[in-house]
Amino acid sequence: MSHDTATETASNSIAFENVTKVYDDGTEAVTDVSFSVSSGETATLVGPSGCGKTTTMKMVNALVEPTTGTVSVDETPVSEYDPIELRRKVGYVIQDIGLFKHMTIEENVGIVPDIVGWSDDRIENRVTELLELVRLDDDVRTKYPQELSGGQQQRVGVARALAAEPEVMLMDEPFGALDPITREQLQNEFLDIQAGLDVTIVFVTHDIDEALKMGDKVAVLQDGELIQYDPPAELLRNPNNAFVESFLGEDRQLAQLQTVAVREVMGPANEAPTNDGGTPLSPDDTLRLAVQNWLRSETDVVPVVEDGTVVGSLSEVHIRSIFDGRSRAIEENHV
Amino acid sequence: MVSLVETVEWMGANSDVLVRQSIQHLSIALTALVIGIVLWVPTGVLVRNNERVSQVLLGASGIVLTIPSLALLPLLIPFFGIGEAPAIVALVLYSALPIMRNTVVGIAETDGAMKEAGRGLGLTDRQLLVRVQLPMAYPVIMAGIRQATVLLIAITTVAAYFGAGGLGRSIFAGIRLANADQIIGATIVLSALAIVLDYGLATTVRLLPNSEVIDT
Repeated sequence: MSHDTATETASNSIAFENVTKVYDDGTEAVTDVSFSVSSGETATLVGPSGCGKTTTMKMVNALVEPTTGTVSVDETPVSEYDPIELRRKVGYVIQDIGLFKHMTIEENVGIVPDIVGWSDDRIENRVTELLELVRLDDDVRTKYPQELSGGQQQRVGVARALAAEPEVMLMDEPFGALDPITREQLQNEFLDIQAGLDVTIVFVTHDIDEALKMGDKVAVLQDGELIQYDPPAELLRNPNNAFVESFLGEDRQLAQLQTVAVREVMGPANEAPTNDGGTPLSPDDTLRLAVQNWLRSETDVVPVVEDGTVVGSLSEVHIRSIFDGRSRAIEENHV
Repeated sequence: MVSLVETVEWMGANSDVLVRQSIQHLSIALTALVIGIVLWVPTGVLVRNNERVSQVLLGASGIVLTIPSLALLPLLIPFFGIGEAPAIVALVLYSALPIMRNTVVGIAETDGAMKEAGRGLGLTDRQLLVRVQLPMAYPVIMAGIRQATVLLIAITTVAAYFGAGGLGRSIFAGIRLANADQIIGATIVLSALAIVLDYGLATTVRLLPNSEVIDT
């Protein structure tokens, strides 16, 4: 099971090549889809109901078999794996969570380590580690799923999926059934958690904001076809067609601000006002926050400060610069 | 005239007979129940994914249940003789429907999300069955077993008519002698047995974490 880490880091962890899925009843769920996810990246699959996103995801852990084309995990076609072995090294989180009601949280989290034969001690330590990771009190380990809130249950769901140290995680609308506040909290925490892990993630959602927020790359699907596969900023800047544009929504520009860091567009430090120009920005702030500060500021230029030193300046011109080229691209596409 | 005092007096005077017949009664009914569980739970597990076979088996066991025991028992005598053997065979057949049906239904009704998660996490069909579906189905299967228990205790009474022992002897004797105390006395003991067994089996479900007793 050991892999050469040197080749792994450079490889595509997951790859789809001309994958088509036709169900027995003749429904073509996925049509000629090709894309790949680099090791350690998160790809979000987004689209309206019935666009084939879940079917696409399920081909990664052999829950669905492609009709034609090849899906590969770690450069090996899924068809060459034993499906059970493959699923044990691919974490799986679903919207309905599916915790085992007759098992304690500890038993739920430890089920995959248990069936692959870890020792009791090792499982116990792993559970402790995971509960801490998903920010649950250690005393939940002896509780049953029904005694936990929906948000806590999905934390357990994530911990269970991570238990056997998977290299790949599949998440099917994991936060979809939660209330908006809990959802946002879990999204943020999950981004934190994921930053500390070397795991490749396929994340299915119907919520474009979630897709843009969680994904290093976003795959927009419509009627089983992959319409566009790009990083969030690129997707917002250059939507491929009218469908993607409308799917991104009316507030696309605001969403776009969210995807860009101040560092990427700021001007030179010597343009920053020497007097107190309002709340200083950090270069890692999003442009969305920057706009808010800029609107509140009394000056036209806001200083960008890192470790107490002014490292740049931000004005309307810099903010607008991210939209340059966008209008041009749209026009080209519409002609 | 029937009076409860006289019935209790009769029960006191014949307690040795009642105890002996209760033991016989339980021995017949519980032997059949154990064989029924050993036979029908695994059968239910085996046919769980084959709808046609399970429909046929459940249909057949439903038909068996509609045959009156007074008719089924004499039909078995040519094959199994007189006494406990034909009684136990008949009782095992009668237990098929409640036990097998509840096994099939209990497994089929395991929460879809749990099945999906289990499969996605890499549990084999067998692991999913043993670790998830059977524990989840346990209360439903137990409800079927309890139903079968009460049914078998009742039907065992009739078996006394065809040479098997049990409390049926006192009841049939009471009918022949027109002794109401004897009939009612034996019936009280019979009901008590059924209630105690049913309660005991329900308790085994209550002891499990997060399992609710399903009323039958």
